[in-house]
Amino acid sequence: MHIADGIIDTHICIGAHLVSGGLLYVSGKKMPMEEIPGVGIMGAALFVASLVHFPFAGTSIHLGLFGIAGIVLGKNAFPAIFTALLFQSLIFQHGGLLTLGVNALNMGAGAYVAWLIWRMWKVPEYIRAPLAGFSGIIIPALLMTAEFRLSGYGRGIVYLFAVYLVAAFIESAITFSAVKFLRRVKPEILN
Amino acid sequence: MKHSFIDKYSDLESPVHSLDPRVKLIAVFSAIIIIVSEPRGEIIPLVFYALLIFILVLLSRVPTGFILSRCLIVSPFILAAAAFYPISIMLTENYQSLQSLRPEFKVAVSVAVKALLSVVLLTVLVSSDKFHNLLLGMRRLKMPKLIGILSALMYRYIFILYDEALRTTRARDSRTPGKLRTGKLKTFGNQSALIFLRSWERSQTIHNSMLSRGFEGEFPGMRKLSVRRTDIFYSLFFIIIFLAIRLTNHSGGCFPFN
Repeated sequence: MHIADGIIDTHICIGAHLVSGGLLYVSGKKMPMEEIPGVGIMGAALFVASLVHFPFAGTSIHLGLFGIAGIVLGKNAFPAIFTALLFQSLIFQHGGLLTLGVNALNMGAGAYVAWLIWRMWKVPEYIRAPLAGFSGIIIPALLMTAEFRLSGYGRGIVYLFAVYLVAAFIESAITFSAVKFLRRVKPEILN
Repeated sequence: MKHSFIDKYSDLESPVHSLDPRVKLIAVFSAIIIIVSEPRGEIIPLVFYALLIFILVLLSRVPTGFILSRCLIVSPFILAAAAFYPISIMLTENYQSLQSLRPEFKVAVSVAVKALLSVVLLTVLVSSDKFHNLLLGMRRLKMPKLIGILSALMYRYIFILYDEALRTTRARDSRTPGKLRTGKLKTFGNQSALIFLRSWERSQTIHNSMLSRGFEGEFPGMRKLSVRRTDIFYSLFFIIIFLAIRLTNHSGGCFPFN
């Protein structure tokens, strides 16, 4: 999911940096000061949770948790994701500095759609929660596929999208379980 | 609390370590843009970049084994993304033989090399200074204020939360050993929620204590950075050599776009 430097076109990366910068500027203006520490800590939690690996099919996978980030942080998810990705690119070289904007927009869009789905209060929670988790992975995968296609990759790149379908189903099950847990233990965090 | 993933080699003494973090950030970011903007399929200029970066690694005294291990960790993702270039064309477009896809394979190699060179540059950057100095450098370079504050907060609490994650992972493994099964997904979900929840509660406590100490959005006592003329000279020299390689290659592509 983290696109490294050099994989996609430079002009897409620069454009994404500009859009990200604009979004961060607007977020900075709108976010009340008292919410910033919470967003910072949740960004750190996002970073740390993604370090937790699970054994899967002979290898290990880690979660994106963009669905939960969207549910818990709402509109504030983008700055938290941007900062978490900045840390991941610097500390672990997962993703690059030039592709930071692209990666943040992809994953931020996933969290934002998850938040929009979560706000459909009339839909039962057992549908909203897994759908939010699913969109947290599938939206970034869709955007990533489009960016690869724009960078000259062949139409066969859609098969990459198919790989992420499996991850999206796993993530939706985990998001559902996480939401159930939060509803039981600390329901106010979900509102 | 013992985490070796940050600041492992930041205490070494080398010409690269002594540079101002802002200068290093600008130089590395410029070098990455120059390398990445190289037209796809061009291999020769990448060899020169690799040579320069190798000299930089030697100057920084960061063990080459450590840098190689970092490259090895990310290389499966990079190689898969690069390999998808010819594969995505093979899967859908008409092609006669593998020979006819030679330009696409050349593109894949150049994409992978560019990405790996960027990884090496980032590793040298992060290993050659304290992580908080780099964050301070970014703030001094006028990164968005919100990201500056969030980074400062994140850096302070990442270790505590990581310990929390390790504790919950140990508890999970001791209670539900073995491979991933459908029933285990619930456990993973609960663990993720628990990490979020404990972080959330901690953030409330932290916020209250910060407010009680007069926090208004800025962290007091941030040390001043001073840039020397030699720092600017070395970094400019570094960028100019990269730029020279980039501009002497006229085989195609329009700078800065590949």
